[in-house]
Amino acid sequence: MQLFKTPNIRFMKYKYIALAVTALIVLAGLLNIIFGKGLKLGVDFGEGTLIRVMFKSPVSVGDIRSELGEVGLGNSVIQEAGKNGREFQIRTMEVISTKEGPELESHEKQANDVIVALRGDDGRAEQAAGLRDLNGIDRRTLAALLETQFPGQGEGLAEKVIDQRTAIGIYSDFAQLSEAGVAPDVISFLKEKTYLGKLTLLSRETVGPQVGKDLRRRATQAIIWSLIGMLVYIAVRFKLANGVSAIFTLTQDVLITLSIYSFTNREINLPIIAGLLTIVGFSINDTIVIFDRIRENQKSLRKMALEEVMNLSLNQMLGRTVITSGTVFLTVMALFLFGGKVINDFAFIMLVGTIEGVYSTIYLSCPVVLFWQKLFKPGKGGRR
Amino acid sequence: MKKGLQWKLILTLAVMALSIFLFIPPKDKIKLGLDLKGGIHLVLQVMTEDAITIETDTEIARLQEQLKKKNITFKAMVKGDAGNFTVQGLGADQEADLKSVLDESFQEWDYSFLGETVSLRMKDTAVRYLKEQAVTQALETIRNRVDTFGVSEPMIQRQGMAGDRIVVELPGIEDPDRVKDIIKTTAILEWKLVRAGPAPDEAALLASVGGTVPEDAQVIKGDPKRKEAGFYLVDRVATVSGKDLRTIRRSADEWNSPAVSFSLNPDGGRRFEKATGENIGKQIAIVLDNKIISAPRVETIIPAVTGGIIRGNFSIEEAEDLVIVLKAGSLPAGIRYLEERTIGPSLGADSVRQGLFSFIVAVVSVMTFMIFYYRLSGGNAIAALILNIIILLGALAYFRAALTLPGIAGIILSIGMAVDANVLIFERIKEEKALGKGVLNSIATGFSRAFSAIFDSNLTTIISAIFLFQFGTGPIKGYATTLIIGLVANLFTAVFVSRLIFDMTVPKTAKRLSI
Repeated sequence: MQLFKTPNIRFMKYKYIALAVTALIVLAGLLNIIFGKGLKLGVDFGEGTLIRVMFKSPVSVGDIRSELGEVGLGNSVIQEAGKNGREFQIRTMEVISTKEGPELESHEKQANDVIVALRGDDGRAEQAAGLRDLNGIDRRTLAALLETQFPGQGEGLAEKVIDQRTAIGIYSDFAQLSEAGVAPDVISFLKEKTYLGKLTLLSRETVGPQVGKDLRRRATQAIIWSLIGMLVYIAVRFKLANGVSAIFTLTQDVLITLSIYSFTNREINLPIIAGLLTIVGFSINDTIVIFDRIRENQKSLRKMALEEVMNLSLNQMLGRTVITSGTVFLTVMALFLFGGKVINDFAFIMLVGTIEGVYSTIYLSCPVVLFWQKLFKPGKGGRR
Repeated sequence: MKKGLQWKLILTLAVMALSIFLFIPPKDKIKLGLDLKGGIHLVLQVMTEDAITIETDTEIARLQEQLKKKNITFKAMVKGDAGNFTVQGLGADQEADLKSVLDESFQEWDYSFLGETVSLRMKDTAVRYLKEQAVTQALETIRNRVDTFGVSEPMIQRQGMAGDRIVVELPGIEDPDRVKDIIKTTAILEWKLVRAGPAPDEAALLASVGGTVPEDAQVIKGDPKRKEAGFYLVDRVATVSGKDLRTIRRSADEWNSPAVSFSLNPDGGRRFEKATGENIGKQIAIVLDNKIISAPRVETIIPAVTGGIIRGNFSIEEAEDLVIVLKAGSLPAGIRYLEERTIGPSLGADSVRQGLFSFIVAVVSVMTFMIFYYRLSGGNAIAALILNIIILLGALAYFRAALTLPGIAGIILSIGMAVDANVLIFERIKEEKALGKGVLNSIATGFSRAFSAIFDSNLTTIISAIFLFQFGTGPIKGYATTLIIGLVANLFTAVFVSRLIFDMTVPKTAKRLSI
């Protein structure tokens, strides 16, 4: 089966238009980043606290916002996660740093405030009556509690109850216990001694400013060194022009992707950095494959001008480019659709980057080599 | 089969068998990162200055004692910043005497005389040593506490430029706040005789003792969560402290509410016996980290061997936790949290489920496409891909590297590049066939011509990943790990194994190739 019967598209003819389009997107993105909404740094880089909660029954973003508003945290970013209206992701924005208290502790206090505000009066009466929250109790304590009524079975029963809770996230009804095979007498004992709290904390992440700065510095350092590594290798295996062009390409990959990303409401966190690196990885792979073909064609077609060799090589590789990018796109699409909230931002940036990577290979890597050769080898660009 | 092929086949099968052996059963062998498994990740800073301050205090006390012995007079000793203090108002002509004391038994200190004032400064080597000790001890203490609490596979490590950070990773914790408290509690337990109190506030307390705090006493607040509220005036020097404990365990008091009982070592026991004997009818405050847990009245002399009980409106967990921290000993310096991530087990389980599902969807759809587009040759690619994943899992298990979400990203990139390698080769074979070459010749040329592109692109990415591994932190490291493993496996499977399958399945006389 053949997707393309060796086409003959004169890619290089449109190089100026393409460069203009690139410049336009990057410019719009940079304007937006610098003067507009800007890039949102996530908790990984020392900005606020991220809390994921799950409610027993569906609530609305508006309800949560008004509850948080009462404790002065109404400007938090509240996003629904999952499809059932019970899972939410809350990011507190303002950092109230007191002079004495270390900042992380004020972050933590804020996180506690959020939880307390969301809980409201829920469970207060029950706790006063000595009941425990089945949606919050830990295995050990539950085991000890069950042991009082069912000697010798506490551990096993607690395990069953907690495992089921882990699987479903939160108990909204005692009946869900029987689905896990908990015996009726145990359920009625639990009904007597525990209650079902309104919400459970799925995760909570706080990074203090010191560590945030550290993570930022290390991430930047890692990226710069890996770019230098690539430049050196490509310059050795191909020519300096190729190395330089590869670096241009990568810079464009990152800039365009970030530009597009800046128009969404998503945040930059460490997994997003990993995503950017993956995009760069694919793009460099693409670029090298094309460079490799150009290198090979130049050996056999010595008379042909470099621009023509590029067109030929790009056309010869078009089938491969489409198929490879297509399969990667497929993979990432699966992550985007089914990967869940935690991985969604990552998948999104990958979707953007995959398409962009192909484009940057054709319309940045090649033109840059071309310009570089023209600049330093006046006359015909071709290799002799 | 040709002899060369036999050996290649054996090598391939051996690699496959080894990898499978390494990661079976995957549930035990493949370690999941905290983001997938759930747990706590903490970065703590040891406030090493604390250790210097404490040492300075003890040294001041030691010097005072020695000067008293040698009849050297002075007006006051004044504490400066951590590691600094001055002796003021030194008696006339006693400079030489003081010098000899300092030279003889205060060698860790630099000193300088200025009139009748002597400034002492702890030597840099001593400061460094103390700080180092503080971190090492804190690490040990935290490890003990975590072990006593009973966490499986905890990871506790030093980190940071100054080496004063400690990273604690505890997988599968259900009650993070409790663990955090256990780690953070300084756990300095002291018994101090009460001189006055309780009073509702500090002013009222001072009024009752004549306005000022005596030099050998101090004001301590009751812990409102415990039995005593209000302010107390207590002795500065503790009668006995946590260091004198011999045993400690959770128990219950006569009303069956949770409590902690203790016994003391012989020396501490004697002091306790003496103090209780002399102070019958008075209160003795039990102070934990400068807050009073309870202040029971001494009703009778408590003999050295008996020990006692600490009450404080504890819940079972609180009593348990107090035992844990007291058993492990106190921290030599305060601790501050710099980073805290708690991933609940449900979220982790959810991420694994969704991650696995989307991974399967992705792999299956890629495989379907390969078969559809490259027909039988697509089978080659699939075999190579599966082997690639098997090797990856085996290597992850072998290196005990944890699989994290960014790690999955690395796997995706390496799978993408594995597919690409096959596509490059197949497209090249097609091209060669279109030029009119025979099947075997096309395969051979296709592989050799595609090789340089595959080699260069994989190696470039491996090089960049090595740098990421070297310089990156947590998630970026996780990403680099799977990527490096995946790409090395890729060079083997896409080039070597895929070729082997062609060589074994395409007959010498083949006129057509399903590609």
